[in-house]
Amino acid sequence: MGLPVTPLETVLLPERIVDALGLEGYGVLGEFVAGLLAAFLVANIMLIMTAVAGPWAKRKIRARFTDAIAVNRVGPFGLLIIVADAVRLLSKEIIIPEGVDRPAWELAPIIVALSALLGFAVIPMGSGIHVADPEVGAVFVFAVASLSSVGLVMGGYASNNKYSMLGGLRAVAQNIAYEIPLILIAVSVVVFAGTLRMSEIVAVQAEPLILVAGIAIPSWFAIVNPFAFFLFLIANLAEVGRNPFDTPEAPNEIIAGYQTEYSGVYFVLFYLGEFIHIFLGGAIIATFFLGGPAGPVLPGFVWFLIKIWAIFLLTQWARSAVPRVRIDQLLDIGWKGLLVLSFLNLILTALIVGVIAA
Amino acid sequence: MSSERIPDDVERTVQTKTRDARLGSGVDDRFNSRLRQAVGSSPFILTKFDKFMNWVRGSSMFMLQFGIACCSLEMIHALMIKHDVDRFGAGVPRASPRQADLIIVPGTIVSKFAPRMKRVYDQMPEPKFVVGMGSCTISGGPFQEGYNVVKGAEEVIPVDIHVPGCPPRPEALIYGIAKLQERVANGESSPVVVKPYELEQFGDLHRDEVIDQLADRIDEDSLAMRYNWGDSP
Amino acid sequence: MSTLEHAPEGAVEVDPDEVVDRLGDRVIGRDEHVNAPAVIIRPDEVVDTLTVMRDEFGFDLLSCVTAEQFPDRYESIYHLKQYADPTTEFSIVVPTDRDHPQSQSAASVYETANWHEREAYDLIGIEYQDHPDLKRILLPDTWTGHPLTDDYNQDKPQVVAYEAHENPLLDHTEGAESDTILLNMGPHHPATHGVLHLKVTLDGEQVADVEPDIGYLHRCEEQMCQQGTYRHQIMPYPDRWDYASAGLINEWAYARAAEDLAEIEVPEYAQVIRTMGAELSRMAAHFLALGTFVLDVYGEFNALSMYAIRDREKVQKILEDLTGQRLMFNYLRLGGVAWDIPEPREEFFENVKKFTDEELPASMDEVHDLLTDNEIFQLRCVGTGVLEREVAKQYGAGGPVARASGIDTDLRRDDPYGIYDQLDWEVITDDAGDVYSRVLVRVREVEQSAKIVRQCVDLLEDWPEDEREIQSNVPRTLKPDPDRRVYRAVEGAKGELGIYIRADGTDKPGRFKIRSPCFCNLSTLPEMAEGEFIPDLIASLGSIDIILGEVDR
Ligand code: SF4
Repeated sequence: MGLPVTPLETVLLPERIVDALGLEGYGVLGEFVAGLLAAFLVANIMLIMTAVAGPWAKRKIRARFTDAIAVNRVGPFGLLIIVADAVRLLSKEIIIPEGVDRPAWELAPIIVALSALLGFAVIPMGSGIHVADPEVGAVFVFAVASLSSVGLVMGGYASNNKYSMLGGLRAVAQNIAYEIPLILIAVSVVVFAGTLRMSEIVAVQAEPLILVAGIAIPSWFAIVNPFAFFLFLIANLAEVGRNPFDTPEAPNEIIAGYQTEYSGVYFVLFYLGEFIHIFLGGAIIATFFLGGPAGPVLPGFVWFLIKIWAIFLLTQWARSAVPRVRIDQLLDIGWKGLLVLSFLNLILTALIVGVIAA
Repeated sequence: MSSERIPDDVERTVQTKTRDARLGSGVDDRFNSRLRQAVGSSPFILTKFDKFMNWVRGSSMFMLQFGIACCSLEMIHALMIKHDVDRFGAGVPRASPRQADLIIVPGTIVSKFAPRMKRVYDQMPEPKFVVGMGSCTISGGPFQEGYNVVKGAEEVIPVDIHVPGCPPRPEALIYGIAKLQERVANGESSPVVVKPYELEQFGDLHRDEVIDQLADRIDEDSLAMRYNWGDSP
Repeated sequence: MSTLEHAPEGAVEVDPDEVVDRLGDRVIGRDEHVNAPAVIIRPDEVVDTLTVMRDEFGFDLLSCVTAEQFPDRYESIYHLKQYADPTTEFSIVVPTDRDHPQSQSAASVYETANWHEREAYDLIGIEYQDHPDLKRILLPDTWTGHPLTDDYNQDKPQVVAYEAHENPLLDHTEGAESDTILLNMGPHHPATHGVLHLKVTLDGEQVADVEPDIGYLHRCEEQMCQQGTYRHQIMPYPDRWDYASAGLINEWAYARAAEDLAEIEVPEYAQVIRTMGAELSRMAAHFLALGTFVLDVYGEFNALSMYAIRDREKVQKILEDLTGQRLMFNYLRLGGVAWDIPEPREEFFENVKKFTDEELPASMDEVHDLLTDNEIFQLRCVGTGVLEREVAKQYGAGGPVARASGIDTDLRRDDPYGIYDQLDWEVITDDAGDVYSRVLVRVREVEQSAKIVRQCVDLLEDWPEDEREIQSNVPRTLKPDPDRRVYRAVEGAKGELGIYIRADGTDKPGRFKIRSPCFCNLSTLPEMAEGEFIPDLIASLGSIDIILGEVDR
């Protein structure tokens, strides 16, 4: 490719922890502990974010879009609702309906929540927060993210409820239909960057593209290839199941889809999984198209958060303003629209990259 | 119609018996934590914990998206802009009863619907709260004399707070919800005063003329609800 | 005054003598109802008679089927009308034996008779022979007795079974390649807007069969009205039929029927107020329809449903100023209205004008922006849930549902009451008959209603102070002559809302029957939804705009 690649963060979070805690002497065990700690840290950041997003921010944002007010009585700006909601949901009775397929029914929410969390392992979040940076980071992130559809279909099928089953089936159909375009678009980015390693993908984007009035515009892929960015945004909406693609849990059609029968902790896990997925989607977009944690003045991690919250805002906006499409239309859009376009995008990218390289 | 009621002695005795049986007593224990039940006494830390839990339950509630009759319109208004009950943390409607804490019963309950409502109520996980909205859920309201109308929601499920009115204004409903939250936060709950109609297996129902008439149409073990109309409050 | 120039197209002039001649010896008597001539026919000639009426005399609308019990007989009355000219009415009275109330079913002539006769069977107990599916419709299957008969004991215990429903297509598909599942939608389901139960048979995501199961809100409205006195006790109940704020229109339906029955004049000033109130009610009802429909298609709590409810709040505010209540107005009185425009009048008129002139156009722009011009919305709604014109007529559809299917009918214009014929407004129609056109018709009707309200305000503002008569003289107790019968309808928010009253010489009606537009409109749902996907079923249901209080009464 000829592009010089200088990884932003050469030092990963576990290594830093090893350094900070003086765990070098413990060899593999030390690394293991450090890895665990790093994972714990990242997972907690994500959990806190979803805790803010789920019970509070989502309602506040929705209220903004619809001229309403939403929670404002419990604590300042209603922020304590987060504690109240979380504790209440966790303390609710868990009803296990008759006729559910026990192990599958209980595993499903765990898989959903976990698969999304796993994805964050390879995301460079700036300020040195990056748990692992394998050679095949991009492949890993898509692989684990799509694991969640297994959880959804498990939950839907094991619930012994027709609405759940419909929801589960819809979720799978949708995920398959949109996973492929999603990956194809990502591949175009990979072709550009010439690497699958996440840190390098980010690094490539740090290169200045052009200078406008003395300010260097970085070569973020969103700017280099807005077409791919746009496609990816749409496919991502479908992937995380938000309007106009929220058919799997369309409450007015099939109650709550695959999560109809879940209460208490299991419901929390589903809910959590959903939000972490939105954030993971945001993180992938940020990494692939928006230069990861790059940004002026503020520390990288803050920029990273700003970017994924922006994507979150976008999904909420779509949710309050766009109708949901029908399941067959959704599949049509996926297979006949996005897939074709993403192939086109891939071929074009390949051609351009080929020309540049030549 | 009511002037033409035919006295029926057999009926009367059955009805008085059920009326006695329906006068249940006792406070339900849904506010007690498992921990407290296990420990039994009330050490400081548990009291604090209970207090916290009560605050939690009183501050945030998911409500069941449950519309019945005219009152549900005012309920919709209470949810939407201008009234926005979500300010009190009670404005997230869930379509599935499994995820709801609060069921607002907004309207007239008729015989065909009562068993279904009972089932929906049963499907909600504890702790669950019920707000009866409108005079229909108090007594049957304007339709009390109807042949088909259940005389109040309390005939079917226990109600924590009644909001009177026909329909109550959204403000009144919000006041009712706020009151409920206050009570929950204080750890109070309403004692159950009437024993509601239950779903029973058809075979277990007291046999009389009506049951005999239906015997060949309803399966022995399918669930059924029996209304003793003459015995309604 | 476009309405005055409208000459009904396709209307057929009917001379009662000619009808009697044509029907020959099927006729066993003649009668005169207040609204229409009536012929009494033999119970085994119903199908032939109605076929003749439909094919030769142009009665393409079976408005209502009323069943009644008399000490010596049962009677079913078929109220016939013409879509093109609803003032051409005819009643076919079918008496049956008291001991064996059996009569021929009209379901093969008019599709709409199917549900109406089931209701008659349910509440009165007349058995219709050759009816495709004669079973209870409003009351539970396990009910014993027929409640609107005079020997019914209301204190008798009843048992309601809670049973699983069978898949109706199970036999068809057993062993076949494709499998169907039965999905019970409701009675508690977010998309049913209340307590409606749909037995949906699914083939994958496609709807193979759908059967509405109603009666979860059957509140005995007819019984309540039969127990109330004309003058005071009935008026609160109409508010609770179509409770989507269409209260004033419902009250007017009752007022119109009762005023015709008792021959009460209504002062012009009161008519203007009634017209204004009714149109405000219609706007509120259409806003609700829009808001809930949007919920079905967009998902919970989106901007548009909030805006619709916001506008509804404004209308409700005006109505509250006028009537003193937000929802259950109880504002009309026989012979007028309860009170005059609230003082200060100017302020009230200012409020109304501000709403119709400034706020409404702005929010209508918003609606068109967000809804009707939205591509995804069109993708969802254009061409789905189609109701053909002729099918709609067969089912007796009315209101926006009929008008969206290209039937140019509106009682406000065709059978004028109030002061509609003096105002300038249009009947909105659309030909497509799909979900989209039903929504569009409703949105545009709101604009027309605003126009009417505006003109009423102008009239009221200039009304000379000493002629503001809000009520005519009505005797304290009304006792219409025995055996006077009237069927009168107004254009409700959902269609033709008709009331049949038979006086029995007392101050309470002998029989009070409500012809509910939602009831008829809902029966078209299978026609719209079969073969479509679940989301289309939901959208179709939303676009019919049913209010269960009116369906079940
Ligand atoms: S209380 Fe009044 S408004 Fe509420 S459901 Fe009953 S009749 Fe309707």
